[in-house]
Amino acid sequence: MIEVKGLTVRFAGVTPIDDMSVTFPGGACGLIGPNGAGKTTFFNVLSGFVKPAAGSIQAFGEDLLKLVDYRRARWGLRRTFQTEQAIEQLSVFDNVAMIHEHSGEGRSARNEAVMTAIEFVGLEADPRAKVGGLGARERRLVEVARAVVGKPRVVLLDEPAAGLPDEETRHLADVIQRIPQHFGALVVLVDHDMSLVSACCETTAVLDFGKLIASGPTAQVLRDEAVINAYLGTEEEL
Amino acid sequence: MSSVVAFSVFGVDWEFLKPYIVLGLALGGVYALSGTGIVVLYKATGVLNLAFGAVGAAGALIAYWMVNHTSWPHWLAYTACVVFGGVVNLLYGVVFGPAFAKRDPLVKMMGTLALALILLGIMAWRAPAGGAFVRVLTLPSSSHYYTVFGARVNLTQILALAFAIALTVVTTLFLRYTGLGTAYRAIANDREITATLGVPVRRVEASAWLGSGLVCGAAGLLLADLYTSLDYTALTFLVISSLAAALIGRLESLWVTLAGGLLVGFVQSILTPYGSVTAYRAATPFVLSIIALLWMGRRRVVVFAPATP
Amino acid sequence: MPSVDRPLLVRLLVIAALLVVALVVFPATLGGDWINTFTSVAIYSTVAAGLVVLYGRVGMISLGQIAILAIGTWIATRLSYVVNLPFPVLLLVTGAITCVIGVLIGLPALRLSGLYLALITLMAAGAVNVVLAQIQFPNGGGGFTARTDNPSLSGLKAVPRPSAATGDNAYYRYTVIVCSLMFLLAVVHFASKPGRAWAAIRESEPAALAAGVNITLYKLWAFALASFITGVAGCLLAAQIGQPNTYSFPTQDSLSLIATALIGGIFTLWGAIIAGVFMQLLPFLFQAQWSVNPNFLLVVFGCGLLQVLLSAPGGLIDQFPKDMANLGRLIARKVPLTRQAALGIASILALIVGIVLIVMLKSTPIVGIVVVVLSPVFASLSQD
Repeated sequence: MIEVKGLTVRFAGVTPIDDMSVTFPGGACGLIGPNGAGKTTFFNVLSGFVKPAAGSIQAFGEDLLKLVDYRRARWGLRRTFQTEQAIEQLSVFDNVAMIHEHSGEGRSARNEAVMTAIEFVGLEADPRAKVGGLGARERRLVEVARAVVGKPRVVLLDEPAAGLPDEETRHLADVIQRIPQHFGALVVLVDHDMSLVSACCETTAVLDFGKLIASGPTAQVLRDEAVINAYLGTEEEL
Repeated sequence: MSSVVAFSVFGVDWEFLKPYIVLGLALGGVYALSGTGIVVLYKATGVLNLAFGAVGAAGALIAYWMVNHTSWPHWLAYTACVVFGGVVNLLYGVVFGPAFAKRDPLVKMMGTLALALILLGIMAWRAPAGGAFVRVLTLPSSSHYYTVFGARVNLTQILALAFAIALTVVTTLFLRYTGLGTAYRAIANDREITATLGVPVRRVEASAWLGSGLVCGAAGLLLADLYTSLDYTALTFLVISSLAAALIGRLESLWVTLAGGLLVGFVQSILTPYGSVTAYRAATPFVLSIIALLWMGRRRVVVFAPATP
Repeated sequence: MPSVDRPLLVRLLVIAALLVVALVVFPATLGGDWINTFTSVAIYSTVAAGLVVLYGRVGMISLGQIAILAIGTWIATRLSYVVNLPFPVLLLVTGAITCVIGVLIGLPALRLSGLYLALITLMAAGAVNVVLAQIQFPNGGGGFTARTDNPSLSGLKAVPRPSAATGDNAYYRYTVIVCSLMFLLAVVHFASKPGRAWAAIRESEPAALAAGVNITLYKLWAFALASFITGVAGCLLAAQIGQPNTYSFPTQDSLSLIATALIGGIFTLWGAIIAGVFMQLLPFLFQAQWSVNPNFLLVVFGCGLLQVLLSAPGGLIDQFPKDMANLGRLIARKVPLTRQAALGIASILALIVGIVLIVMLKSTPIVGIVVVVLSPVFASLSQD
């Protein structure tokens, strides 16, 4: 469970996150909202790139904000980015293994953990192949494998389906759904593809202008009028 | 009659230091001059031009040659130095600028290092420095002396300082109130968008290269005179002092650049008569630059782009 | 169990062949001046290897590596006046002290990147040079700097070479072996955990952080490795020169080093070897063998650097095979070239032809210079 209380982020005269309080109960949770709502900023706070002006984040009972940024990965925080961050010159195996290397886990378990992660996401490419030579779909799966290898506790997925055709999105949905029970991790999924969010996430929170405007079971949230208005806008009497 | 009252503030004998202060402020003026050129060019094009010193040195060598090996009037030689600075910088900016336009500022700066290398090679070939032979370039203004605040100052030194102040004033007004100046600031903000607004980006950038180049030529001429010997290697690496001024101004503020240049010149010169530290006074621009850079980098910024070219 | 893959085997064979040529063929066939030059090539290739680690692998530019080399040489010289260490120990101690100094200099620079990092390394190098210009190199005098302006003959002793390798040929072999070990040290780093962490840092610092990489630690480790091998190179240089002084480290060497390192190829250690060759062998050839003014090489390095920056970031080692393949395809199968490929070939050819013209037309070098300058012009046009 992740509990966020009164989170506020300010920089350069903008307030991307404004007194946000939300609880992610467990399993796979969606986080949606129109562009600029603060979703990626929230992930950046979790990753440690952005320091909040106020607020607290408790994850599995521990104060996440107290940990130095790179140590959060060791604690079990994993993340994918909107732009690909896998290292092109390294092989698939090395890319995934690197996360394991720096997570404080022992070398003996590494091979198995890496192959487990690769198989889990359904990546069929040769683990020794360089990532630079893979197609978009496989690179996306490498990112997800990096996010689940070893013992992840919180997996943040930032628009993993962006630009993917329907068939691959379905495969991705299947993978994401299985993460909580297979690895015991809490997943927070940010995406604009509502079918993906509905398929994977039991609960969803909605941000707009840095504020939480709805949260609860996904189906309910997606039908909430405030949420629809946030995305589509409201009519104004002229 | 000049004042002969010696005065002591902070236990320092200022009367004794006066000639050093004068020279320091004059040199500082030239550093500020060159520094202003560096800052304006950086603002308009994103290029930190480390070849400024080399171009100035080459121009000074050309002026020297014209003065000593031709019968052409001297003012033509001095003009040639200034024009050379403008032309070489303009050529570089026009030929290579567009290709570098979308690159990282580091890569743009390394391009200017390449230019400096090329010029150093050509200068070493055409004007080899050697042994007892020393080239001297003295401007006619250096033979006019005045007494200011009881110190002996020559016209070149006054001109250097005056020119620096004037350039700072003019450039500040230019950037704020003219259409071209606004274009510089717009391009500095976002080149692509400015281009879509109909601003002739390449022509604006070319004007920045020409303008800063002319300043660079003038600075080269003044330095060759103030430094008493035309050592092109030394002149080339004097760009560091100009760079120190620009860095103190955070590559941003022209007035702070002026102050920075004067500070560098002043501190370095004032340390000259003190035997215990005089040998290390050449480190002044380096030390001040390091402090300026550490100050500029004090906030940890997380960068999302890959680092190497 | 996978068999050793072919590319690796080929690479090992090439390395073995090169070592045989360097260690056996060269000393047997070349004269003293050549051997001395190749000793310098090995040393400066090692310095360039430090740049490959810092800039090529981690993305941290350093314009101050020559200053680090000078520090290494100074330390080795100073130590030789204090204790009579066996040479391998002198190498290690010099490397270690230089390593510590390099890390100390690197610490405040950690927050900086790109342009500001380049500038601060340039400034730090400048400050080091001012200090060195003042304290000079030790020559047997007293005090911490062991320097006196009136050295007695007994005080002015040279940095001793290893007892087994005092002659030039033997010292050359010794140097090549030590430098190869330094390269091996770098390779071992690249193939293991730090190498992967560096690749992650260079690709994207946020992603590396999110992956759990302790960026501060690994950046300092890179500084440490680069400073260590540069320090060892400095010690080798000290014993090669015997009585080093500040003239051994002219300011423009810093520019030449970064230029040749990028021209050779900053992303691989092979590029470092090319850098050493360009920086030390070419001037020797120009000056001693062909009676051509070596200052023209500064022009060549400048043009080569521009060309690399504009169109060939991987340097010669990366670009030359590609260009030759394109050319081969044009000639053999008459496949038309794209404008970019054609300009790329023209750009490299201009560089090579220009160098040849400078050497051959000694009385009118301007022809060669103009051709060489065309190289970056072509490169610039290819980017439009």
